[in-house]
Amino acid sequence: MTMRVLLVEDDAELRRTLRDALTLEGYEMLTAASLSEGLALAANAALDLVVLDLGLPDGDGESLLAALRRRQSLPVLVISARQAEGQKIRLLDAGADDYLVKPFGVGELLARMRVALRHRGTRVSAALTHYHRGAVQIDLAAQRVRRDGEPVHLTPTEFKLLARLVRNAGQVVTHRQLLADVWGAEFVDHTQYLRLYMGQLRAKLEADPAEPRMLLTDPGVGYRLAEPDDDAAAPLMPS
Amino acid sequence: MRIGIDAETSWRLRDAWPALLVWACAAAAMALLDGQLDLANLAMLLVLASALASLWLPGALSAAIGLLAVLAFNWSFVPPRHTFAVDLRQHALLLAAMAAVTTIVSTLMAGLRSQARRAQVHARRAEQLRQWGETLRDAADPLAQAGALRDALAALAGVDVALLVAKDRVPDTDDESAVMRVGAADADQSAGLWHCLRQGEPMGPGTARHAGLPDWYLPMRGRGISLGAVVLRGQGTDATQDPLLRAHAQAVCDQMGQALQRVLMRRDEQRARDEAQSQAVRNALLAAISHDFRTPLATIMGAASSLAEQGARLDPQQRQRLAASIVDETEQLSRLTDNTLQLARLDAPGVALRCDWESAEELVGSVLRHARRHDPARRVRARLEPGLPLLWCDALLLTQLLDNLVDNALKYSPAEAPVEVLVRRQGEHAVLAVRDRGPGIAPAWRERVFEVFRRGEPGPQGDGDASLTPRARAGAGVGLAVCRAIARAHGGELRLRPRGHGGCSFECVLPLREQPLQPPAEDAAP
Repeated sequence: MTMRVLLVEDDAELRRTLRDALTLEGYEMLTAASLSEGLALAANAALDLVVLDLGLPDGDGESLLAALRRRQSLPVLVISARQAEGQKIRLLDAGADDYLVKPFGVGELLARMRVALRHRGTRVSAALTHYHRGAVQIDLAAQRVRRDGEPVHLTPTEFKLLARLVRNAGQVVTHRQLLADVWGAEFVDHTQYLRLYMGQLRAKLEADPAEPRMLLTDPGVGYRLAEPDDDAAAPLMPS
Repeated sequence: MRIGIDAETSWRLRDAWPALLVWACAAAAMALLDGQLDLANLAMLLVLASALASLWLPGALSAAIGLLAVLAFNWSFVPPRHTFAVDLRQHALLLAAMAAVTTIVSTLMAGLRSQARRAQVHARRAEQLRQWGETLRDAADPLAQAGALRDALAALAGVDVALLVAKDRVPDTDDESAVMRVGAADADQSAGLWHCLRQGEPMGPGTARHAGLPDWYLPMRGRGISLGAVVLRGQGTDATQDPLLRAHAQAVCDQMGQALQRVLMRRDEQRARDEAQSQAVRNALLAAISHDFRTPLATIMGAASSLAEQGARLDPQQRQRLAASIVDETEQLSRLTDNTLQLARLDAPGVALRCDWESAEELVGSVLRHARRHDPARRVRARLEPGLPLLWCDALLLTQLLDNLVDNALKYSPAEAPVEVLVRRQGEHAVLAVRDRGPGIAPAWRERVFEVFRRGEPGPQGDGDASLTPRARAGAGVGLAVCRAIARAHGGELRLRPRGHGGCSFECVLPLREQPLQPPAEDAAP
């Protein structure tokens, strides 16, 4: 089945380049140069993914995101310039799936799109329950974590935090989202909790906690659990 | 003290006692010598007394007394005695001559005295102007002398004085915050002061402007500008004033105006110099930055145009290599853009950082992850002291700082030399260091590498030159400048230290804060 992607980007050059590159990868591309055009296309076409630039001439991407979120569970990837830090985090908190900072490579975009499409629909249906990367295997349903086949003992909070990241594996989860989901809405400013528990998780799960391969930091934004290995049945690889 | 020609009107009876004494002596002498001397000689005594007495008496009075004395002389000594009858042939000429001489002498003496007094007043005023000029010349800020000016004018004119002095340039509107006031002025006088300040012309009685006003308004004039105004309250109602008083008061005010203008000009000059300097810095900065941008742009242009024009004739490997160099250089450009923007942002006053509690381990982790893309040989190593406290900082900025330092270290040290990222606690500070084994930096350039615009200049001659040249050529300028700006924005500092066996260590020292409250520890789940 061909995936249909809406690209909302006002720069003609970048729009054409991305459209060609994504068409080559087998996506069916719809492009819009403005917010209104994007809204019209999103209303009339069945879409699988939206790639949304924040700096649009006729308004900010936030209103488009809100319109999309009201109607359907559709993955949204945000493209932002470096200056739009605050807005980027707001959009992620408002439900955007992931973001890319300009300039970015096509490979990076494709990887993010792949992750977003894999998570498509998980908002409403069951989330991922198994995660496997390198030496680490996580089974959310059984509340079991193994490293090199050995069980790893996690505290309840550590497990909750890890589970929250597994549900969005490959995608960034903002500090705010993690704090609200793991500790509760009144703790959204207690970033220090995250630092402590992420440190503990890394110590237990990473081969070199100083250079994590799995529990990645997105400075100033949040955390990202690296994409799981494609083949869940592959033999465990020593790190 | 009241200085003026009108001092004549303040003559009092008690000042006249020497004159009375002279007349008394003369009368006594004449009575005594009556009969021994003839009439003409007695008359000489009277003329002498009149001349002496006029030294102390006002002219008119002296003349009047002289005439009275002549009448008395006629009564007492001129035969027939005890009558005013005069023998025309004998004594009329004598009496007339006596009266005329007495009057002339009195008038001349009075004129002389008044001239002497005027000269004295002039001399005193000239001295006052000279002293005032010296006071102003020595004063760094003439504004501080406004009180002294008021006192001097008040003493001079004997009336209340109020001042309005512009602190800098004369404001476009009657902005009270731009002026300094000394002395009380009512609303009318205040409006008059502002008007006088703007017109730069004296106003009030005796002047060409607003002669109906009850007060004098005098501007403080410099060359072609007026920087203040004075009101001499009620001065206009004094009819007996000295006509030269206003001219003198105006001269005193103008000295103040000139002093104010001198300060203003000095300030303008300083401003123009600062402006020119900051313009020069900006130009040098732009030149340095555009040089930094041009290098990756040239590579991109070369590779892309080669692909566009020779694409068909290139083999796939060549094409791949060109494309890869475009990607690499674009990343370099992107980093440069980030650095330049950040530098501009941090340069602005009151920049807001997005600070949060950050873990040094995480920051270093994400820097390492980024660095690995250009570090296939894994030269970069991280060493973090265990149990480091959290840092209160802007994560993006600090990653940018470490990113730049690691990138520099990789670029400017030999291909196999290790690059270390170290984080340790040092008292109330955290030290984040990036150390390389490159050629190091000459002592003369250890501070200058942090200055963007130095890069365009030729390096210093001597031993250190060789070590500087590659670093200066390849564009560390903006990078290190932004690193230091980031450290300073966090209340810290970025320093460069040479290492014992070659290479350098860039050390970012950040102040530590009291650690935030952590959640209670929990036991591991079974």
